[in-house]
Amino acid sequence: MGAIFKRELRSYFTSPSGYIFLGLFLLLSGIYFSFGVILSRSSDFSAFLDSVRFIFLIIVPILTMKLMSEETRQKTDQLLYTSPVGIGNIVLGKFLAAFVLFLAAFAVILCYSIVIIVFGDFKVWESIGASLGFILIGGCFIAVGVFISTMTESQTVSAIATFAVLLLFWILEPLKSGLPQDQTSGIVFACILAALAVYALFTATKDRLVAGISGIVLVAAIALTAIFMPAGYSGFIAAVLGWFSLLKRQQSFSLGLLRLDDTVYYVSFIFVFLFLSVRFIEKRRWM
Amino acid sequence: MITVEHLTKEYGKRKAVDDIGFTIPDGEIVGFLGPNGAGKTTTMNIITGYISATSGSVVIDGLDILENPEEVKRKIGYLPEQPPLYGDMTVDEYLGFVAELRGIPKKERSGARDEAMELVAVADVRTRLIKNLSKGYRQRIGLAQALIAKPRILILDEPTVGLDPKQIAEIRDLISKIGKERTVILSSHILPEVSAVCHRVMIIDRGRIIADGKPEMISSGLEGRNRVSVRVACAKSAEAKTLLEGIAGIETVTDSGSIEDGSFDFVVEAKPEADVRKDIFFALSKASLPLLGMRVVDLTLEEVFLRLTTREGEEA
Repeated sequence: MGAIFKRELRSYFTSPSGYIFLGLFLLLSGIYFSFGVILSRSSDFSAFLDSVRFIFLIIVPILTMKLMSEETRQKTDQLLYTSPVGIGNIVLGKFLAAFVLFLAAFAVILCYSIVIIVFGDFKVWESIGASLGFILIGGCFIAVGVFISTMTESQTVSAIATFAVLLLFWILEPLKSGLPQDQTSGIVFACILAALAVYALFTATKDRLVAGISGIVLVAAIALTAIFMPAGYSGFIAAVLGWFSLLKRQQSFSLGLLRLDDTVYYVSFIFVFLFLSVRFIEKRRWM
Repeated sequence: MITVEHLTKEYGKRKAVDDIGFTIPDGEIVGFLGPNGAGKTTTMNIITGYISATSGSVVIDGLDILENPEEVKRKIGYLPEQPPLYGDMTVDEYLGFVAELRGIPKKERSGARDEAMELVAVADVRTRLIKNLSKGYRQRIGLAQALIAKPRILILDEPTVGLDPKQIAEIRDLISKIGKERTVILSSHILPEVSAVCHRVMIIDRGRIIADGKPEMISSGLEGRNRVSVRVACAKSAEAKTLLEGIAGIETVTDSGSIEDGSFDFVVEAKPEADVRKDIFFALSKASLPLLGMRVVDLTLEEVFLRLTTREGEEA
């Protein structure tokens, strides 16, 4: 893992991508800091971080687009997958390289807080909380980017798809309020999810029997809950989408609250996407 | 010791590898011979653990590749068809990276790297970026990468593609040298290359092994044919042809036209056990027909294939 981490981190600086990432990150955050903090005479560091979050949409794809896709395209993945290093370590090494570069850029942003400390009223705990939240959400987006880059050989496709998925995370919150809240649509949505799960199981195992039985079990479970506790299905769609609402959980961080469940949520989000990347690579080798 | 049993790889309905099985003892140099798309690369990719087989097993020194992937991969050095190189690294950096990836302890890394560079003679470009190097250098750096951790088993997919004749000769020598202590599997679609280096040849066609044996057997004995090409100076081709047909042991004489003025070329096929070259010489000299040239014709790979596949058809 060490070798892959080092090589990947180095390659950010032997290709333009690392410089583009750092340049854009620092330029955009600098603009935001100048206008949102200095010129508007605000001393709220956490509000600054909240507003600067949108640049993830642009910089995370730059950071992650080449991670796995370039290996596949150049066939250097043959070297990695035939070396005595597990795929989990390969993916982790790549994720950490991107994450460390992101942390380095964030360390520069942290220096901005000196301006507030000297000239304004610096709220220590809110700023620490917001910084942690910023780092964790960055890690989540990078993990999503890593996963998407395992799915394609093309850096361009990888970047655009990552951008689209991150955008989806962004509009999830406003989208939720517009979704139907009634029980029927909740039940229909549950059935769609069950169908997707059965399909995923079938493609993974190629076993009609297993997929069929689990499909029947799922449908029975939905039918039973729909009959006995139909109230559970009102607002079901919004609840499910709420699991993916990364941004909503930022609020408590920005208030200076370090809630365990939110932290665990972000860390497990990262691990789920890294795990999916590993599974996806292994599955492709079985095809 | 490599044991492969009932290996099958399906891509959808197409079988890239169809029930292949063989055993390779330690220290043998084995050549996979076959046209493009025959399943050589797929077989190699499965043995090295790059892809998984649909069914069947690969066991190396008693360890199954699926059960102990990391231990098995430690024993194997692999040069894929396209050398897995990073263009943005220098040769030094790249081989250092591979050394670390392959788990060579930190103290031994630079020694292993220099040794590998020495073996394939790329030390003169060690500080250059790989993307700026020629195909010959890249191929050799790929080979260095496979050798660096001194694996017991080397798997080389078309190791001499893209090299000039001098480099090809060097790589062959290198493979023979390495093969003294290690097991080597290499693939090729060039028959002379395989017969020059390998102790044993497996011919693969459409995912199946259609012949397995010593290279001499494959190129001549296998076919039960013995062919000689002769050039005779004479006025009329029929004159020499009748004379050649009269020699004992010769089965057919084919007129292959005239290349040099005042001479005719013939391809003579004889019974497998008979060496008819002396008889041809004396017969022609007796008839005062000067012999301008004579050489033994090896079967080309295409012919070997054609014969092997048609022979199979006859059996079935």
